[in-house]
Amino acid sequence: MRLPSSFAIRLLVAFAALALAGCGGAKVARRVDQHPLPADTLTMRMREIGTYGGRFVVGATASPKHFNPIMASERPTNDVCNLLYTSLTDVDYTSLQDVPLFAKSWDWSADACTLTFHLRRGACFSDGHPISATDVSFSFDVAMDDSLGTSMSEGLSVTNARTGERERFTYAAPDSYTFRVVTARPYAMLLSATSTVRILPRHVLEPVWRAGGFASAYGVDTPPESLVTSGPWVLREYRADEKVVLGRNPWWFGVDAKGQRLPYLDEVVFVLAKDQDVAALKFQAGELDGLDNVRPEDYAAYTAGQAKGGYTLYDSGPSFNTSFLWFNLNPAPEDSPNHEPGEPMVGAAKYSWFSKADFRRAVSKAIDREALIRGPFRGEGVKSWSTMSPGNKRWYDPAITGLDHDPEGAKQLLAGLGWKDTNGDGFLEDGQGRTIAFTMHTNADNTMRKEMLTLVRDDLAKVGIRVDAAPLEFNTLTAHMRSDLDYDAVLLGQGSAVPAEPGMGQNTWRSSGLLHYWHIRQEKPATPEEARMDALMDRIVYSTDEPARKTAWRELMGIVNDQCWIVWLPTQIIRLPVRSKFGNVAPSPMPHRILWNVDRIFVKSGGH
Amino acid sequence: MRTFVLRRMLEAIPVLLGVSALTFLLLQLAPGDFLDAFAENPSVSAAQLDQMSRNFGLDRPWAVQYALYVKNVLLHLDFGQSFSYHQPVFRVLWHGMGNTLLLAIAGACVTWGLALPLGLLAAARRGTWVDRVLSIGSFALLSLPEVLSGLLLLLFAFRTGWFPIGGMHDLDHDRMAFVPRVFDTLRHLVLPALVVGLVPLAARMRQMRSSVLDVLRLDWVTTARAKGLSERDVLVRHVLPNALNPLITLFGFTLGSLLSGAFVAEAVFAWPGLGSLTLEAIQRQDQYLVLGAVLMASAMLVAGNLVADLLLAFADPRVRHD
Repeated sequence: MRLPSSFAIRLLVAFAALALAGCGGAKVARRVDQHPLPADTLTMRMREIGTYGGRFVVGATASPKHFNPIMASERPTNDVCNLLYTSLTDVDYTSLQDVPLFAKSWDWSADACTLTFHLRRGACFSDGHPISATDVSFSFDVAMDDSLGTSMSEGLSVTNARTGERERFTYAAPDSYTFRVVTARPYAMLLSATSTVRILPRHVLEPVWRAGGFASAYGVDTPPESLVTSGPWVLREYRADEKVVLGRNPWWFGVDAKGQRLPYLDEVVFVLAKDQDVAALKFQAGELDGLDNVRPEDYAAYTAGQAKGGYTLYDSGPSFNTSFLWFNLNPAPEDSPNHEPGEPMVGAAKYSWFSKADFRRAVSKAIDREALIRGPFRGEGVKSWSTMSPGNKRWYDPAITGLDHDPEGAKQLLAGLGWKDTNGDGFLEDGQGRTIAFTMHTNADNTMRKEMLTLVRDDLAKVGIRVDAAPLEFNTLTAHMRSDLDYDAVLLGQGSAVPAEPGMGQNTWRSSGLLHYWHIRQEKPATPEEARMDALMDRIVYSTDEPARKTAWRELMGIVNDQCWIVWLPTQIIRLPVRSKFGNVAPSPMPHRILWNVDRIFVKSGGH
Repeated sequence: MRTFVLRRMLEAIPVLLGVSALTFLLLQLAPGDFLDAFAENPSVSAAQLDQMSRNFGLDRPWAVQYALYVKNVLLHLDFGQSFSYHQPVFRVLWHGMGNTLLLAIAGACVTWGLALPLGLLAAARRGTWVDRVLSIGSFALLSLPEVLSGLLLLLFAFRTGWFPIGGMHDLDHDRMAFVPRVFDTLRHLVLPALVVGLVPLAARMRQMRSSVLDVLRLDWVTTARAKGLSERDVLVRHVLPNALNPLITLFGFTLGSLLSGAFVAEAVFAWPGLGSLTLEAIQRQDQYLVLGAVLMASAMLVAGNLVADLLLAFADPRVRHD
């Protein structure tokens, strides 16, 4: 036994020495501006003028699947592509207002159907090739190519008011620095829809597209130096399932107030850390510079560890993600195996309860949201009554409220339905002696939702409603919600769309929507209220008058919250730790939380 | 011998076909498909989902999808494209396979490197406290779930700072010279290899111990001792080579599970291997990527069994494959 143990010790010593040796690496090269600035630079807004050098290392839950922004459809790929490619305009993540990017300005025609962009002169791709209107035009060609089935193509069309057909935007590039988009009718989200199209190098990708190879272009096996980008960053290195390293694009047109070319940092590194606990350990060990996902129960520990760990826990305000529950009012579809078409999926008894607005209102009144905030949210939550959470500076409307905790009121509403506890078991029975009992699902991988479900179950028991809490695997749950429609009630949430605005919620609030949870894909509105919601949604999407859109949104949410088709639950306050040595850090509750302004983040002096 | 190898390889074809059919069926039985993630997005419409479904061929009945898959594999050796990577599946899987093999081989080195000497020691000191400590210790390791031992080792790395918290390379790996590079990878390899290697240690050690004990009971061992050989010479020169015979076969069989044995450790240590790739593909229902990964692991298993049979033939002259 002596021999192996002494060998092990020697091994350990050898590794420890190596560990120490490894800390000295990463010499940061001083920056030299290799290329002249373009005629039209873009001065980025920022709190502090920064200095050059350093790198920012952030954890990623999954690797990007490719570097093709038009084909990107999921978070990790989008996160990287958003840094690699620019677009016509952007949304400022603090004010949510539209701001210039490759388009230095834009103007609307009098009928609000034509939008003309004036493009930046002298801007170049990362290979030094000039970016012009033909590149923008090419990027739109690709984004609207049906054979590619891109996720932004739907947003680049409007519904014809008379025929109901989808009509594509038309677009043209009258000269190298002008790009024009025309729609068949005024469209509120025209600017944000055009900004979903990232600008690609036509001189590289047009032949590939013509040859039918666009879908797999710019895959993960593309040599980094041959990836031509239009954004502030270029790809420096990709290691499958390990890391992505982005470097500074030496041709980028963004500058600071002193006219110094951005970005300040030499590198942004995405390191794969699939597991949230491993990411937290990596952050604590100094391997990551920031975390973009922290559980509320850990906020206290992070607050306490700030000085020692050399980081700051930033308060980003309420999340744009919302939580809610709803009851299944779906009728059986044509091909339903166990139900006559049109018959309620939940059966006659449950439908007679769920379809009563007073029942749903009673449920909303029975839920103690403050207890939810104290419990699952650990005090780090706020009440939210629509998909536009209190964190949304542009669209949050304090006049939109719902039925809050009022157990006595809930009991009165239930008594008003003629429901009594006839057998003395503590739960109500309806007029035909059936106990008011149903099952509520949530996705089992989300601890916070499971905790919420338990509290909601207890709250409803207090007013005499029996709920069986049944967490399900996520895919099973979504199959119930969308395909077989076989469930009673679901507690779930919705992530924020980008841009976070009511017009992006057509799929949820229109009666024909796939995410019109309580009764999906209606051929025509099932209730007068839903017909009204469709009309309001039209106004929200097709009016360009923002106050009118806000009024329509308020009326729409008024209907939803009066009917309690959606019963709202609180939303989380986001706090994110980032090393204190970085300046201009301003994490947003929107996706790309820390990185949205990473072109302006810098290492403060003494931080190297 | 050549006909034996050829026959075994031909036999592998129906096995792999069966595996692929079963995997395909299970993927179809699982609720939802690759497009579920898109349907969650409030700005993706039903019409768009239908279009994507056509683009990916998901709108056809599964039997037709499978028939097309088999046809493409047999006629063009085309194993399909990953839905999320938009790349041929093996181009995606290739990279992960090398990393998984490295981890699995390192794990096997830990297992066998410890099991052989410790098993020999336990047998030689049979019934003493050494034997008991070794068997209790190895069974304790066996009963510790890999996830837990992985997390404990991560915590150890965090507290001591001796090892990195997961991953395979340092951020500056590519700026290093060759020798520091090798050491960097080794430093990342130690903890996951321990997790992979310590679990099967108990079983291998017990097998080694009983194999040594079997040999010790034989008459010629008594003869050797009677000749006046030292106990050390008896054990190392005579007992060990004979006791190794059955373990060689066992070693061959474990080759087959090399690709699948490291999944848990890969997940915990963010090791960029086939396991994490496959897990993500299953979660996203990227069906051809899952199929590719399963086929690759199955092919390894078949090959491993073949190697085991061949090793047995080399090690034991009484076995003939004709």
